[in-house]
Amino acid sequence: MPNSSRVNVILGWAIVVFSLLLVFVWIPLDTTTGVIERVRRQTLIGDSMAPMIAGIFLLIGGALLLVFERKASDQPQIDPLNLGIVTLMAAVIAAGFLIMRFAGPAAVEINNLITGSDLEYRLLRDTPPWKYIGYFLGGVLSITGVISLAEGRFSIRAALSAVCAVIFMIAIYDFPFDDLLLPPNGDF
Amino acid sequence: MTPLEYVWSGVLAVFQGPELFSVLGVSISVTLVMIFCGFLLGIAVGATPGLAGPIAMAISLPILISVFGFTPDALLPVMGFLIGIMKGATIGGAVPAILFNTPGTPDAYMTTLDGYPMTQKGQATKALRVAHFSSVSGDTFSDIVLIMCAPFLAILVESYLDLPEKTALLILSLSFIAAAVGGSPAKGLVSAGLGLLVAYVGTGQDFYPRLTMGMPAFGQGFPLAAAILGVLIVGAVFHELAQYWRERDAERLETKLVEDASQSLSLANIRGLMPYIARSAVIGTAIGALPGIGSTLAATLGYTVGKQRYDKRRKEDEPAFGEGAPQGVAATEAANSSVSGANLIPVLSLGIPGNTAAVFLILAAESIGGFNPGPSVFKFDAERVNPELVIAFGLFTAMILANIMNWTIGGLFMRSMGIMTRVPKQILLPIVLMLTLTAIYVQETDMAAVWFTLGFGLLGYGMRVLAISPLPFVIAFILGGKIEDSARQAFAATGGDPFFLVSSPVAATFMILAVVVVFASTGRRRLAG
Repeated sequence: MPNSSRVNVILGWAIVVFSLLLVFVWIPLDTTTGVIERVRRQTLIGDSMAPMIAGIFLLIGGALLLVFERKASDQPQIDPLNLGIVTLMAAVIAAGFLIMRFAGPAAVEINNLITGSDLEYRLLRDTPPWKYIGYFLGGVLSITGVISLAEGRFSIRAALSAVCAVIFMIAIYDFPFDDLLLPPNGDF
Repeated sequence: MTPLEYVWSGVLAVFQGPELFSVLGVSISVTLVMIFCGFLLGIAVGATPGLAGPIAMAISLPILISVFGFTPDALLPVMGFLIGIMKGATIGGAVPAILFNTPGTPDAYMTTLDGYPMTQKGQATKALRVAHFSSVSGDTFSDIVLIMCAPFLAILVESYLDLPEKTALLILSLSFIAAAVGGSPAKGLVSAGLGLLVAYVGTGQDFYPRLTMGMPAFGQGFPLAAAILGVLIVGAVFHELAQYWRERDAERLETKLVEDASQSLSLANIRGLMPYIARSAVIGTAIGALPGIGSTLAATLGYTVGKQRYDKRRKEDEPAFGEGAPQGVAATEAANSSVSGANLIPVLSLGIPGNTAAVFLILAAESIGGFNPGPSVFKFDAERVNPELVIAFGLFTAMILANIMNWTIGGLFMRSMGIMTRVPKQILLPIVLMLTLTAIYVQETDMAAVWFTLGFGLLGYGMRVLAISPLPFVIAFILGGKIEDSARQAFAATGGDPFFLVSSPVAATFMILAVVVVFASTGRRRLAG
């Protein structure tokens, strides 16, 4: 059956161009030893050899796509709406993790302003309730956001599911273990 | 130690490992309990559309490592749990396929063709019994072949292949996987090339970490778990969610389960199914032994071969294949289940992972340490104890135990899992996503690993959208370092011979095959298209 999709041709060209850039620009500029090196009268394989092999795999793959599979009947149809929704989901998760990263320290700062104390998040990163603030807020936001995007609407069920799920994750990853740190506490 | 003593030590390592509790004075080892728990979890995730064994393996691995630590004692409980999941998920996938026309795992698609019509005719329980019996039979046969073949293949490789031949064999495996997985050899090569490239970022022997563009974040290379879980799990979750979003308003098919009286599987029924099961088990095992060829192809081939036989022998009053023939369910389930054991042949004997379950077993072995799957495992050292060989026989014991569980309680548990299909996918998948990212973080304790995982997740999603299989990427990522190390050693050992990959007949044959397999697949595909 004829397929109007030109995905293989576009992908093939993109891969061929990328592999040529990889082999002739990126690898020579970003690797300090060549394909073959002579060190103390010994001939050795340099650091460029393995990435070159990767580049050759890509080049052959791209060329085969262009030569043999340009009119393949099973080429996918790209749906920009699907790409958009996944980008949005990734953005929501990234936002959730950013909130996760900064919510704990922000809570400590607010507490310091209110109580006049001089607490540091770094020293509280393994102390409840501080250690859960970032993970809880970021986790609930990420899960609720992604469920809402998938369903096309916000619902209380989504938020409640997220709250239960995050509490469950804290229960399995944190409660039983002294040596595990929930995100983002290992970065402090 | 003699070979028999090694086998016995492996068995004892499972049964006499650290005790979890005792029943009437009989000690129950932690490994036994872990195999059992993994098995039950595997059936549950296999029966849940949108979930599969690899997702459960990904989420549970960091928890297991935290519980058991990074000591060799952790290997059998952790890998036993993963094996349990692998076995359970294999039979669990048939449940939603038969009851609701929704395959729980991709390879269960063919099961819907006859399984669901049987349900519509009021024979749901009988279809589940047929699926369970066929699946377990195929799996058991496959495990027997694995246990018989893997040690001999490893000894053969270790005895006859030197460094250049081993390097050529790794390249051949990669090229074979690229050509065989996903249907398009060109896209398979692209996927493998990307995997190799990513594996080489931030690594190398020189002081400067190569291909990092001067960015310190890439200086240590990409974490193994971030790349694998990102491409395999996060990418799959994004893909499933996007599909759900696209089809969220579509009408859902509701199946009302009505059953007639005869749901049992009689001895006469089993006798009638056996020829189909036997053929499919051989097909699935042969396909499974080749790295990269998945159970979906095995199921398709098993079904096709079964159909040919059935069409010749079918009586007038019997349903045709595709209209609710139990033989159709048997042929499919025996074929796709018999892939799982044989898939471990290349892992244990050559260190080459052939499917996603094997990838997670390697990930577990690399995370814990003390066990490096490959030909060196099967060194029957008579003077000193080879602990890796004991672990290998421990793993075989774990597989046999999981099979015994499958034969005894698997059917009952499987038939009670219909409820899992009602778990809403759009709620479950975001939770799985957060669980995976949390799992990565607790393992790496660095937010950069989370960003890498998300990045690899988008890459995995993009690959699925472009119909590029992510499996060659993952396998190339795992084998990348091994290929480079092996090539460096072979080059040095041959005194800097630039033709070391073609200088011996065996290595040259492997290299020629590596090229032929890609071009032959491309040509075959062109003819078929």
